[in-house]
Amino acid sequence: MHDAGEPSVAIDLSRRKGRLVANRAVRDSFIEARRAAAPYVSSLRIALVRLGADRLARAGALVLACMALVAVVADVLASDLPLACRWHGVVYVLPNITRPAALAETDIVRMRREEVAGDWVIEPLVARGPAQRGEPGEALLPPLSSGHPMGTDSLGRDVFARVVHGTRAALGVGLGAAAVLVAVGVGLGAIAGFMGGVVDALVARAVEALIAIPTLILVLVVGALVPNPTATTLLLTIALTRWTDLARLVRAEVISSLGSDYVTAARALGAPPRRILLRHVLPNAIGPAIVGAAFAVAWVALLEATVDFLRVGSVDPAASWGAIMGDARAHSAAWWLVAFPGAALLAALVAANLVGEAARDALDPRLRGAPAISTGRASWARPAGRS
Amino acid sequence: MLRYALRRALWAVPSLVATSLILFFVTSLAPGSGGAAASQGASPSAGRGFGDNPRIEEARRERFLDLPRFLNVDPQDVRSRARAALADIASGGARGAAAVEALARLGGAAFPYVLPLLETLPPDVRGRVAVALEPVASRAGVGSPERLSRPEEAILFWTRFWENRSLDFTRGAVGRGVERLVEHGSDARERDIAVLDTFALPEIVGAMSATDDPGALERLTRLAQRSTGRGAALAPGASAAQWRRAVADWREWWFVHATTFVPLDGAERAVAFVTETRFGKWIERARSGELGVSVVDGESVALKLRQRAPVTLLVCALAMLVSWAVAVPVGALGAWRQGRDFDVATSVVLFVLYTTPTFAAAELLHRWVGGSEVGGVKLALAVAALSAGSLATLSRWQRSAMLEVVRQDFVRTAHAKGLSPWRVVVVHALRNALLPMVTLAGLHLPTLLGGAFVVEEVFGLPGIGLETLRAIDAHDSAWLIAVVLAAAVAITLGLVASDVACGALDPRVREVLADRRGTRA
Repeated sequence: MHDAGEPSVAIDLSRRKGRLVANRAVRDSFIEARRAAAPYVSSLRIALVRLGADRLARAGALVLACMALVAVVADVLASDLPLACRWHGVVYVLPNITRPAALAETDIVRMRREEVAGDWVIEPLVARGPAQRGEPGEALLPPLSSGHPMGTDSLGRDVFARVVHGTRAALGVGLGAAAVLVAVGVGLGAIAGFMGGVVDALVARAVEALIAIPTLILVLVVGALVPNPTATTLLLTIALTRWTDLARLVRAEVISSLGSDYVTAARALGAPPRRILLRHVLPNAIGPAIVGAAFAVAWVALLEATVDFLRVGSVDPAASWGAIMGDARAHSAAWWLVAFPGAALLAALVAANLVGEAARDALDPRLRGAPAISTGRASWARPAGRS
Repeated sequence: MLRYALRRALWAVPSLVATSLILFFVTSLAPGSGGAAASQGASPSAGRGFGDNPRIEEARRERFLDLPRFLNVDPQDVRSRARAALADIASGGARGAAAVEALARLGGAAFPYVLPLLETLPPDVRGRVAVALEPVASRAGVGSPERLSRPEEAILFWTRFWENRSLDFTRGAVGRGVERLVEHGSDARERDIAVLDTFALPEIVGAMSATDDPGALERLTRLAQRSTGRGAALAPGASAAQWRRAVADWREWWFVHATTFVPLDGAERAVAFVTETRFGKWIERARSGELGVSVVDGESVALKLRQRAPVTLLVCALAMLVSWAVAVPVGALGAWRQGRDFDVATSVVLFVLYTTPTFAAAELLHRWVGGSEVGGVKLALAVAALSAGSLATLSRWQRSAMLEVVRQDFVRTAHAKGLSPWRVVVVHALRNALLPMVTLAGLHLPTLLGGAFVVEEVFGLPGIGLETLRAIDAHDSAWLIAVVLAAAVAITLGLVASDVACGALDPRVREVLADRRGTRA
């Protein structure tokens, strides 16, 4: 039995090229040592604990989770088709999600009108779809009118339905773009930092080239030039041009950890480059990636709203917060067209920024109070080294 | 210091090239210039060479769709075109018929590569080639149509033509001839140059842009029109503007078609690997400032950009000034009084400003004040809306930069020396905390420019942004691409300027760029 205060690990000389020959005695001694030593806690774990302790971050995460839930169940909250119904003798369950062809031509309003004996309809919370136009006389109704908790817009479309379905656009594009952006940014940043030389120079040029293109303008232009722009076009345009900040951060992180003792030790033990990158270097870059993703969600949602706000009237009537606010510009008396989507957008942005800032503070308390993404590091050339 | 500035400016060049590559990629998405025309033009069965529909062929040519995208391994010039035509005539059939027309289009420019070879061709091919050149002779004003349509006489005529005239088919001789024509202008001189047919086109088009004498221009355009069969004739009494347009038209045509009439030799040929591509042509256009013509009102894009840029630049510059003026003291004081009431209050306010979208801020201001028609009021509101967001970003940065500095030893030393707190903050701490802000000012430019587009739209300021949003509705690709390109160039310049400023203020930054090579530890 080893002394609990001074754990010793038997060094197994048969360990070569990363291959551990399973030796019962050696394994036992490892387990022994692990029990005896202080429990190993990764820096990521510490950061997560710190993050969990942050009340504002918890509130932000809660808001985001609620919004995600709203986006998922948007069809239950507001739809032009019922939750379940019996229509002309046939029972449909959740037609608002399955969209059966037999009901393609109808909606709840029409169903109520053409009801025959034995038919029944279970309505969703609001019996209007996001793109469904209202009857004549239903345009610009104020909030709390019958059946329209948030009023209607100039085409008689229900604002509640549009806000709820707009959550999908905002969070979908935000999360999707953030995912692609983080993947590209971490991948290229890590490769550039790890391989150096020509690859590094190439990525550096790409970063400098992309920094010079204003994203909002590029997104607008691509939307105008691509034949049939969709949300995916927007998502990819943003994700494939805005990975630059993250790549810079990850690269700096990779270079500074390449100079650290544990990487030298891993090299000395004969670990192959792939293992060094994946096991020793990249885990350190996860932190910036998480922070970058949180800020990217906020930033992309904002960009999406801005683009829809500016392009209102020239695109299809897909529901989005920015589009509703754009509609409001021609009807200055209809405050509800600005207030509800504006509040939703602001809530999403504040929540995502709170989570992002808390995550950054948790990972690196020195940066407390600084705004999103890029650091003050002067240029790509050399990270302010910790090495 | 100058070396550092130059070095940094040079590093921007590859970045700009890369930016243009990206934009070129976006351009090729544009409908009309990319997919649609390409799929109509090149039906795979037509094969290489001369397509079935000359109009589509011409449209493709004007958009450089006949060229490869990035690298032209085999740039076509008059020599290779003439050789291909000879080979096709020799093989006969449908391709031979098309090649006969092509050879006639090449005209005099192809003589140095066709006539000396006449002897070496098999007799029947020789006859066909000689007859094929008949349209050239008639537009050049030599020979007689009846004689030239009989193979034997045509061969004899062209052999003797080359024996007598080959000395005229040199660049120097043509240059002198065109120069004399421009200066003195006589019908005899014009006839002399007409004999050279398309061979004289480079000098003719060059002389067109160099002179504004209507008489000379009349002769030059007449010559160009005669040898190519395109372009409209202008009456001698045409206005100066009409002449300018006609010359611009010829220059544009020459830009597209120069390689049909000029051989690529030596260095030119090497350069043509890169320049004779769609990307090369696109860059050349953008560089020469001929950014194209707006489809909305037919105005020159470059001109419209120049007219509208001042508004956008003014909005950006004012917003930058305002946000710096507010952000630096607020951020610095917040850091100095970290955790006190002032810091907490400004942090909350700044966070709200930071998360408020620019368009929402602009729209709120717009509603609150109401639609004002006075330019100054509109400008002030636009600047206020634009600086709201950026001052929040900047002052949060200033605060965190200051926080790093105030903890350092030299600040403590300054306190210990007994300096007044005011002096410590302003002279010792703030000066160092401003350095990262200079870098940030450059990185903040793209956001600022995007925001300027938004406020211009909301407040109806006649800047680039407003025009761009109109152009988006009209799918005006020339304008859109020009705007992104101009924005990219402006931002790159801004980044260079901020880096140079940073280097001027901080010698450590200069060192970083100086040993870029030694980056890797």
